[in-house]
Amino acid sequence: MISKFIDTLVNIAQESGLYEICTNFLDGGYKNLIMILISFLFMYLAIGRGFEPLLLLPISFGMLLTNLPLTGMYHPELFAGDINFGDVLHNGGLLDILYLGVKLQIYPPLIFLGIGAMTDFAPLIANPKSFLLGAAAQAGIFITFVGAALLGFTAAEAGSIAIIGGADGPTAIFVSSKLLAGGKYDIDVGTIALAAYTYMALVPLIQPPIMRALTTKKERAVKMGQLRTVSKTEKIIFPIAVTTIIALLVPSAAPLVGMLMLGNLLKESGCCDRLVKTAQNELMNIITIFLGISVGATTTADKIINLKFGGVILLGVVAFSLGTACGLLFGKLMYVVTGGKINPLIGSAGVSAVPMAARVSQKVGQETDNTNYLLMHAMGPNVAGVIGSAVAAGVLLNII
Amino acid sequence: MNPNVTLLADVLEMNVENVAAVVITGLIVVFIGLILLIAFVSFLGKFFTKKPKAKKVKKASYVKEEKVNVPKVATPPVVEEGISDEIVAVIAAAIAAMGAKSGKKLALRSVRTAKPQRNAWASAGIMENTRPFF
Repeated sequence: MISKFIDTLVNIAQESGLYEICTNFLDGGYKNLIMILISFLFMYLAIGRGFEPLLLLPISFGMLLTNLPLTGMYHPELFAGDINFGDVLHNGGLLDILYLGVKLQIYPPLIFLGIGAMTDFAPLIANPKSFLLGAAAQAGIFITFVGAALLGFTAAEAGSIAIIGGADGPTAIFVSSKLLAGGKYDIDVGTIALAAYTYMALVPLIQPPIMRALTTKKERAVKMGQLRTVSKTEKIIFPIAVTTIIALLVPSAAPLVGMLMLGNLLKESGCCDRLVKTAQNELMNIITIFLGISVGATTTADKIINLKFGGVILLGVVAFSLGTACGLLFGKLMYVVTGGKINPLIGSAGVSAVPMAARVSQKVGQETDNTNYLLMHAMGPNVAGVIGSAVAAGVLLNII
Repeated sequence: MNPNVTLLADVLEMNVENVAAVVITGLIVVFIGLILLIAFVSFLGKFFTKKPKAKKVKKASYVKEEKVNVPKVATPPVVEEGISDEIVAVIAAAIAAMGAKSGKKLALRSVRTAKPQRNAWASAGIMENTRPFF
């Protein structure tokens, strides 16, 4: 009886994840351990430091679940090559099924629907020149594409890395899940999403030094005039017009821009309160959980602990910094052209990352003059950046 | 995705010509798209922004006033109930001092208790967006 009890204990121990890590420690098991520790670090950053917790926490937990051996919740092999959806539904784990929403590009447009329902485009409508700053900040995407090409990445990988410069998580996931389909690349959607959300969380640390370096004290102290009041009719026409113009020009951007503008139209129409509340809260929260945990699940040890991931992290920060710098430099140009009426600091908000990038403009502006309120002026380029990065995504998908 | 479709990304060579094409085309299309939006939104703004008529009225009444040439009499300020004369005197003195400094003659028209400009939710939103990060 005692021997049977001991045999059972041994069997249980041999089927445990701990046994799996120990027996395969040198054969890759250590990588799982490192990834588990990284997931703890991200959990600390989300909970303890408040870095994009709504997404970083589900991502880090997905990372933990996928790197714990033998859990069977995510099977990367099911998504290698051409996907057999019947196979995924019959043999896949929970995270495999949730990941279909990423793979089929369903979650990012739905997130955009929620963002649209929460966004006020009035600062952009009141000052349409802000669109130029939103466009200029997208230059970081295309310049990084060159850097990725020089480092030997393929066109699909380079496009996926470059879109990190848009500082827009759903857009980065949308583009990379399309370009990196088939699982034959060294990097994955999870790698891109992890880098994108890490940099978005670090916006308050990355942007201010660049902003201070590229602007003078006089430029930072510029106070901008009050924005005009935007009528309800303008707010209703805006989403319809943007969808029509952008979808006609870049059809590949239609899923993102269309959903963003549908959410905004629901909000501005004033006749769909129930739908707006659902898009802003329940739908947005459900998709955020599904997106976060399934993207986290793709961060398996072999995809993250390699030199290519180092390259993605390096190029990601380059893309982000270049986007910020291009927006600022265009802001400086507008400062000169308008005779000092535009504060160049609002240019850095053109990189999306709503509303954090606009808050950074406000904060850096107030360092020079604490009576200067740039927040509403920076929200214009900030929301223009969301539209700009969606257009840039469409262009990348179209060309590549 | 149709398995028979070959992505251009799989065959696109990363040579100077192709990379330059992606960068230049990308930037131009993004700028064209957003410039079209600027044109449309600017047109929309001009169409919906009504020119203020108040200026004309003000100008007309000013001209009328000049013609009549009635001597100006200092009218006492309208003071809300509950505000003491001492407070009114202090405010009037402060305004007079400001005017003296800049060489302008300023008049106190009314004194009333300040009311909050925004509701509690709007104020909470502004506080949230302007608080320090760390």
